Amino acid sequence: MGDLIKNIVKKSPWIYRINAGSCNGCDVEMATTALIPRYDVERLGCKYCGSPKHADIVLISGPITAVVKEKVLRVYDEIPDPKVVVAVGICPISGGVFRDSYAIEMPLDGYIPVDVNVPGCPPRPQAIIDGVAKAIEIWKTKL
Amino acid sequence: MSALKLVFNMLIFPGGLFAIMLGMLLMGVDRKLYARIQRRVGPPLYQPFIDLVKLLQKEILVPQTANYTVFRAAPLIGFIGMLAAAVMIPISGVYPGLDSSANLLVLLYLLATPALALMIGASASGSPYSAIGYSREMSITIAYEAPLLVVLMTVAMKVGMANGGFADFSLGHIISYQQQNGSMIFDITMLPALLAFLCCIPATIGTVPFDIPEAETELAEGPLLEYSGSGLAMYNLTGGLKMVIISALAVALFFPGTLGSFWLINLLWFVFKCLLVITLTITVVRATRARMRMDQALKFYLTVPVALALVSLVLTLLGVRI
Repeated sequence: MGDLIKNIVKKSPWIYRINAGSCNGCDVEMATTALIPRYDVERLGCKYCGSPKHADIVLISGPITAVVKEKVLRVYDEIPDPKVVVAVGICPISGGVFRDSYAIEMPLDGYIPVDVNVPGCPPRPQAIIDGVAKAIEIWKTKL
Repeated sequence: MSALKLVFNMLIFPGGLFAIMLGMLLMGVDRKLYARIQRRVGPPLYQPFIDLVKLLQKEILVPQTANYTVFRAAPLIGFIGMLAAAVMIPISGVYPGLDSSANLLVLLYLLATPALALMIGASASGSPYSAIGYSREMSITIAYEAPLLVVLMTVAMKVGMANGGFADFSLGHIISYQQQNGSMIFDITMLPALLAFLCCIPATIGTVPFDIPEAETELAEGPLLEYSGSGLAMYNLTGGLKMVIISALAVALFFPGTLGSFWLINLLWFVFKCLLVITLTITVVRATRARMRMDQALKFYLTVPVALALVSLVLTLLGVRI
């Protein structure tokens, strides 16, 4: 793909969220703080989509509980290439407050390739937006 | 020569290239204005074009449960239907429209093709969410087609009765009637019909108060769920074309007035009127309303717009002039 097309395409990253057993803290930060009118990621061309098949960047939060692991992997496979994974919050990285629980199967990058980690419990909206911006740069190299 | 002209009309000027460009402009303005109403910066005006290029670069996934041929061909049905519809609509002062005695009726059928394509594609995808989505799409199509039909009937009656006949479904005659007697929008008896038509536009396009089939929070995009890459791009393009067709139809039926006789000015005037219709009926409404339930939408469509359109129809039949 030519550089021109790459530069055009990278202005249209569509975002999909997967909640992998998160406590909802990170989801609140993602859905109602970072990616809504106040901080406006739509100016970067981002758009929330309801279907994994429309997505380019996938945000995963939560410590990957044993029950949800298979479903996360299945939904991940549904996302068409090229795609970028952003792990939001400390849980998918190290388990966070759930670290020693028998019910979780963290870390996320043991199962799928994670491109950007955004640590925090929950991360600040600015950190999530920075993570999305970094993900867009990685996405451009994958095109 | 006339066949060549038809191909040109279908692929380049009112249909094809021009309609797609106008559709993308309408979608871009819609998204930008939506963002500005929410006091944010919003995407650039050419964002729909970027999205299109992006979607064409993506991998195409077809579910195992899907019927491959029907699933891949369905987006084309709506797209071709809309291209054909674009040829029929006159742009006053620029393009006379395809000459026919009943093109309004043909247009009504062609307007249903995108919804039909969505239903076919969704039912071929084999996903339960799509199945719910397409049953809802079917219900809402029935809901908004009724008032739409009454509005078109009213306009046709008005023109037909003035010409001494009954109902005249020729868009050419409707335009020439309005050139002689003034636009329908200045006729008080036709205002309820105009309002009813404007009420139908959000459901035709499928935007927020009436995006019940695609409700992304409950149905994960409904009929579009399984589409990725070029199939999705085709549906988006069809949506843009549909915006052009429905707003151009509103312009042709109610306010086709021209500014002078120079074609470029008339074309810009037409684009401005389309933008006005889309802004009023889609952007402002979707920025200020929340999604309705199916029963609320059905109740709304089968009462308010139908009643408004019937008022105009009765006034027209009685020959009232104010």
